[in-house]
Amino acid sequence: MSRIIPPEIAPYESLIDDILRAGAAKADEVEVYLEAGRSLSLELRQTVVGEASMAEVWGIGIRVITDGRIGSSSTMSPGRWEACLDAAVASARLADQQDWQGLPSPAPLPACDEPYDPLVVCDVALAEDLLSRTMAGAEGAEAVVIGGSASLSSGAGAIANSHDVFSTHRGTHAGVSLEMINGTSTGYEYDSTARLGDIDPEKVGEKAAFFADFWAGAGDVPSAEADVVFAPTALASLLSAIFFPALSGRNVHAGRSYFAGKLGEACLDPALHVIDDPHHGDHATPLDDDGVVTRPLELVRDGTVAGFAYDLKTAYRYGAKTTGNAVRGGAGGAPGIGFHNLTVEGPAGGVDDGGAIVCHGLVGAHTANTITGDFSVELSNASYVEDGEYTAPIRSAMLGGNLFAMLADIAGTSEETRTVGRIALPSVRFNNLHIIGK
Amino acid sequence: MRFAEPRYYDIRALEGSGTQIEIDNGIIESAGSAFSDTAVIRALGGKGWGTVVVDNFSALGDAAVRRKVDEALTLARATGEDVTLAKVTSSVLPVPSVAEDPRNVSLEEKTGMLLGIERAAALDGIVNTRARYIETAATIRFENSEGTEFGYEIVRSGYSVLAVAGRDGQMQMGRESEHGITGLNIRHKEAKGREAAERALLLLDARSAQGGKMTAILDPELGGVFAHEAIGHASEGDLVKEGASVVKDKRGAAIGAPVLSVTDDPTMPEFGFMPVDDEGTAVQRTEIIRNGVLENFLHDRQTLAAVGGGVAGHARAQGGYAPVVRMSNTFIENGDATLEELLEACGDGILLKGSRGGQVDPGRGVFQFNAEYGFLVEGGEMTAMVRDVSLSGDILTTLHNITMVAGDRTMSQGYCGKAGQSVPVSDGSPHILLEHAVIGGGQS
Repeated sequence: MSRIIPPEIAPYESLIDDILRAGAAKADEVEVYLEAGRSLSLELRQTVVGEASMAEVWGIGIRVITDGRIGSSSTMSPGRWEACLDAAVASARLADQQDWQGLPSPAPLPACDEPYDPLVVCDVALAEDLLSRTMAGAEGAEAVVIGGSASLSSGAGAIANSHDVFSTHRGTHAGVSLEMINGTSTGYEYDSTARLGDIDPEKVGEKAAFFADFWAGAGDVPSAEADVVFAPTALASLLSAIFFPALSGRNVHAGRSYFAGKLGEACLDPALHVIDDPHHGDHATPLDDDGVVTRPLELVRDGTVAGFAYDLKTAYRYGAKTTGNAVRGGAGGAPGIGFHNLTVEGPAGGVDDGGAIVCHGLVGAHTANTITGDFSVELSNASYVEDGEYTAPIRSAMLGGNLFAMLADIAGTSEETRTVGRIALPSVRFNNLHIIGK
Repeated sequence: MRFAEPRYYDIRALEGSGTQIEIDNGIIESAGSAFSDTAVIRALGGKGWGTVVVDNFSALGDAAVRRKVDEALTLARATGEDVTLAKVTSSVLPVPSVAEDPRNVSLEEKTGMLLGIERAAALDGIVNTRARYIETAATIRFENSEGTEFGYEIVRSGYSVLAVAGRDGQMQMGRESEHGITGLNIRHKEAKGREAAERALLLLDARSAQGGKMTAILDPELGGVFAHEAIGHASEGDLVKEGASVVKDKRGAAIGAPVLSVTDDPTMPEFGFMPVDDEGTAVQRTEIIRNGVLENFLHDRQTLAAVGGGVAGHARAQGGYAPVVRMSNTFIENGDATLEELLEACGDGILLKGSRGGQVDPGRGVFQFNAEYGFLVEGGEMTAMVRDVSLSGDILTTLHNITMVAGDRTMSQGYCGKAGQSVPVSDGSPHILLEHAVIGGGQS
């Protein structure tokens, strides 16, 4: 495989080769994952910058496999790679043996977006510009700014193994956020993209101001059954806590997923489609973090559970095929099952029909019962809406329900979508949910 | 080394290792160690902070460190905030001694002990068991331009065990965990695995809670989460300074019932212990609320100078991040009632037990958290078990509704997330009686 080496990785190319060579003498297979990058952020304290920070991150993760026993370790010091390799070998001795058919070999790479933009550089003036554009979006608001940030990062990574896989990737990221308050009404908004041209700082400012101002003087609601429209930010927090973990092959086989035993079962709304596309979007990658070639994965088709996500280890263990869903949180850990760019689609239209309660955020989504899907959360920036028009803001209310039951009966979805983290999704309406008022 | 130019700088380096063991359904998934070596360098120019984070810090020589201080100073020029640092005392408490240093126990033996806990949870009716052991050993070195310089080592370790019970398509979880700083704590803990499993099995037969307004008793674990989420965060000086706390102008005011006193104590030998804070300030026990009155905010040097009305020594950082104001060991102080008296006073209501976590919007003053389970209270007696029960409310009204406090405080451990950083904390409470509690559940 020909090597294209980003400048962040080039100084460590021979280090990677050294580790692979030394590792081959101590284990059946060796893998090296390296990440290097820089990030800059400016933090607002009210309307002025209180902190400017630059981080230079560097790390390697080493994984070794001997007789189906997997060990790993990581370090932030290039000079300590030998101790790191020894720790990985020691950890493989303790791990239980499992069915293992090898790390991947080189394969042709699929066409794929590169979530990289040379215009995203760790430059103070660029960050200052993003920040002032964000605040400009909030101009004219009654609410005041209490915090916010602009961040820029650029980095590269490499994955290499003892079967001659050697692949590198580059990535950039630009983000802004703004936090405002009007009395005790808080407004928070953010945007985060791989490319500079995709970020919309003015809109972030405008929405943070709207959330803080419109909800000032909001009223209470009585307990009632209500039709609730979840904005993408609100629904994504529940999906991330409950729904997507249930589609991980590991959780399914381990018996802690709602979808265990439900492959091929039509247990969701017939118009629900969920796809993970590793080739298009801000988290696009031709290889996953096992070094396996990625491919689009259909998780839910027409309301039927169509597939689960696997990494290499889980696939080998349960006699399945990897779906290229190995994802790492950085060089510091072994890969686990994750997703790349998820798209959620439901029945079109109907979101704005008649009256409903719309909510933009949930407080406490992570406290849900992740296995059963039962949750009880506090609504944030919720309002009565009439034919899509915001009428009366709601100060505070609780919402309880079961996410899986809700996803089996979706009342409608908006045309407009938003990408929240790795999930692109519309606003989604669910009817007859249980609201507990104050 | 000491450099003259910035009006202030500090360097906080962390070198250490982390050990993790993970067991899933009896299979040892992983057992190994990883190594950290990172530093945060902060400098104050004419205005605010410039910060540089460097991995592989120990490889840098003095000249390279000097360049990093200069880089921090250059970054500081991009700031516009007037930052003043309060004068503070610096001293370092001794780190409590460990009964059994986990580093002296082989990874193999620790794996065996964790497997014992995990296997103890594999009772009939349990469909999945999982256990995790986490150990971190960190050496912290600190120096600043004022001549403060120190180093210390701290080892934290602990475990969690999770059991999932399944029957007829229903699934419920039970979880137990213990973390600390006083040495290895996984010997002979098989009973904790069984406890998690037995609770998961009992929850299969529990009913969903009825939501609504009622009188609630919070157990020490959930009461601790209440102290942390509903009180602790809002008292953090940085939120107060930016105007993001609902109690920002309430110091000296009665914000809670007279029976309520809340303390944050980094000197306590618990999971949130710090021998000194992460800006080198001496730590001390800080009374946030005394007899219902808001007495002190939690501060770092900057927020103490800007806001006043509190105690510095509460700056904390995860390795590789700049410190922010954080809690350590936060708790509601003991009262003089008993649980029996609370149940009698409750009459008909609910007893909430355990925690699945919580969250707060300190600016709006709204909090939410979830109990692991609960019991209905009928005529002053605990009756049926309930599940998926949560509590939410407004800080300023809820604190006045705590009418009785028992004398049976215990502490629980966890990690608290703020500003993208996660730090070890503990929180606790005696049983407390909360009137007009807004309870969420499956049914109305």
